[in-house]
Amino acid sequence: MGVALDGLVLGLQLALLSVGIVFVYGLGGVLNLAHGQVAVAGGLVTALLLQAGQPPLVGGLGGVLAAGLLALALDRTLLQPAYRRKGEERLLLALILTLGTSFALDGLFTFRFPNLALSLRLDPPSVELGGIRVRTASLAVGGLSLGTFGVLLLFLKGTRFGKAIRCIIQNEAGAWLCGVDVARARSATLFLSGALAGVAAVGQGFFSYLGPDMGPEFTILSLIVAVVGGVRSLVGTFLASLLLGMVNALLSYWVGTYLTWIALLAVAVATLLVRPEGLLAYWP
Amino acid sequence: MLEVENLWAGYDGMAVVRGVSLRVDAGEAVAVLGPNGAGKTTLFRALARLLQPLRGSVRFEGRSLDGVPPHQVVRCGMAYVAAERELFPQLTVLENLELGAYVRPDGVRRRLEAVFDLFPRLAERRAQRAGTLSGGEQQMLAIARALMSEPRLLLLDEPSTGLAPRLVAELYRRLDLLRRRGVTILLAEQQVGAALSLCLRVYVLKNGGVAFEGPSSELRGSAQLRSAYLGGA
Repeated sequence: MGVALDGLVLGLQLALLSVGIVFVYGLGGVLNLAHGQVAVAGGLVTALLLQAGQPPLVGGLGGVLAAGLLALALDRTLLQPAYRRKGEERLLLALILTLGTSFALDGLFTFRFPNLALSLRLDPPSVELGGIRVRTASLAVGGLSLGTFGVLLLFLKGTRFGKAIRCIIQNEAGAWLCGVDVARARSATLFLSGALAGVAAVGQGFFSYLGPDMGPEFTILSLIVAVVGGVRSLVGTFLASLLLGMVNALLSYWVGTYLTWIALLAVAVATLLVRPEGLLAYWP
Repeated sequence: MLEVENLWAGYDGMAVVRGVSLRVDAGEAVAVLGPNGAGKTTLFRALARLLQPLRGSVRFEGRSLDGVPPHQVVRCGMAYVAAERELFPQLTVLENLELGAYVRPDGVRRRLEAVFDLFPRLAERRAQRAGTLSGGEQQMLAIARALMSEPRLLLLDEPSTGLAPRLVAELYRRLDLLRRRGVTILLAEQQVGAALSLCLRVYVLKNGGVAFEGPSSELRGSAQLRSAYLGGA
C-alpha cells in the first residue's frame, strides 16, 4: 500500500517535470535537452534564498520564477536560430544547442555550488490518514502537482491564449494565418515549461533532496515520459508519468534501484513498439 | 487596394519571385496564372509575410507592409488561404471558425451565420473534426475560416486543388457571390478556365516574373497567348 502511494506521488512528480518538455516540443518543435538543468537551477535558487533566511514561500516562488526566466532566456537567445528553420532541421539544431547548454549548466552548478542541496523538511514528518501512515511530503508533492495541473488545464481550455497554444500545436502555419503571434506564444510556453520544472524541483526538495548534479537524470526521465505519453499529449504525459512512477516504485521495492532505469527504458521501448505515437497520440 | 512593386522573394537567398509588380483595386477579382514552379505560391507567401521578401515593396490600403509580422497581416484586413489549407485537423469545424475570428472576437455569431449561409455544408458539419472532412469541405472551411476575420482582401492560393470539376464550379460560384458582396479577391490558379470565369484581370507568371498582364478577355480569346504562357491549358 505504502509502495503504491509512493509510486503515485513519484508519478505526479514526474508529470510536473515532464509536461514542460512535452509542451515545448509540441509548440516549438524543439526538444529541450537542458530541461532538467532548468529544474535544478530553480531548486538551487530556492536553496540559496532559504540559506539567505527568506521564508519558504518566497524561496519556493523565487526558484519557480528563476527557472521560468532561465527557460525564457534560452528561448530569446539560443533557440532563435533554430526557430528560423523548420521540421527536422529545427529539431536537430535545437538538440545540439540545448545539449551544449545542459553541459554548461551542469558544469556551472557542480563547480560553483558543489555542496548546495535543497531539502525541505515538513513538520510533522508523517500523518495518519484513514488508518495508514502517510509522509507529509507525499501529500505536499501530490497536492502541488495536482493543483498545478488543474490550473494548467483551466488555462489551456478556458483562455483565449490557451486556445491559441492548442492550435499552434496542431498547425503552426495555420496559427500564423489566424493572427496568432506564434513567436510570443512560444516564449510564453518556454517560460511556463521552466516554471513547471521549477515546481518539480521544489517538490523534489520535499520528497527527498535536490542536488546540483541532478540535471541529466531529470532530463532523461522527462524524455522517457514524453516518449511513453506521446510527445504531443498533455493527458498522455500525465498517464505515462503515473505508469512510470508506479513501475519505478514497485521495482525499487522488489528488486532494487539498480534495475529501475532499465525498466523505465523498457517501458518506453514497449510503448514505441505497440503504440508508436504514445499512449495518447493527440492533444490533449 | 494592394500595390506590389518590384517584389523579389525566395528561399535561402535564391529568388523564386523576381521583380513582380501588380495592382489590385478594391472590389476587383484578379487572377495570377502560370505553370507549376512559376512562383505563384512564393509570391502569395511573401504577400502574407509568411516569407520575408528579399526586395521590393508591398502596400495594402496605402500602408507599407515592410516589417509587419505575419500575424498582423490578418489584422490589417488581408486574409490568406494557403493551398495546403492549413486547418486544425483535431479541432471541430466550429472551433476552426472561432480561431479564424481570433483577431476579431466581437460579433463572432453574426459572422458565423454569414459563413454558414455561404457554405451550408459547413453548418451541417459544425461538430465534426476538420481532419475528417472531404477535400472540398476542407477548402470551404479554409475559406470560411479566413472570412471569419472579416477581410477586405482575400488571397486564395489554388483553391481548386484536389477538387472534382463539379466542386470547382460550385466553389467559384460562391467566390463570385463573395466578390459581389464587396470582398476583393486575388487568386492563384492552375485551372485557367475557372479563374477566368471569376476574374476580369489576369497576371501570368513565368519563371518568377510577370509575362503577361491584361484583361481576361484577351487571354480567353487567344489560343496563341494561352499556349505561349500556360502551356496550352
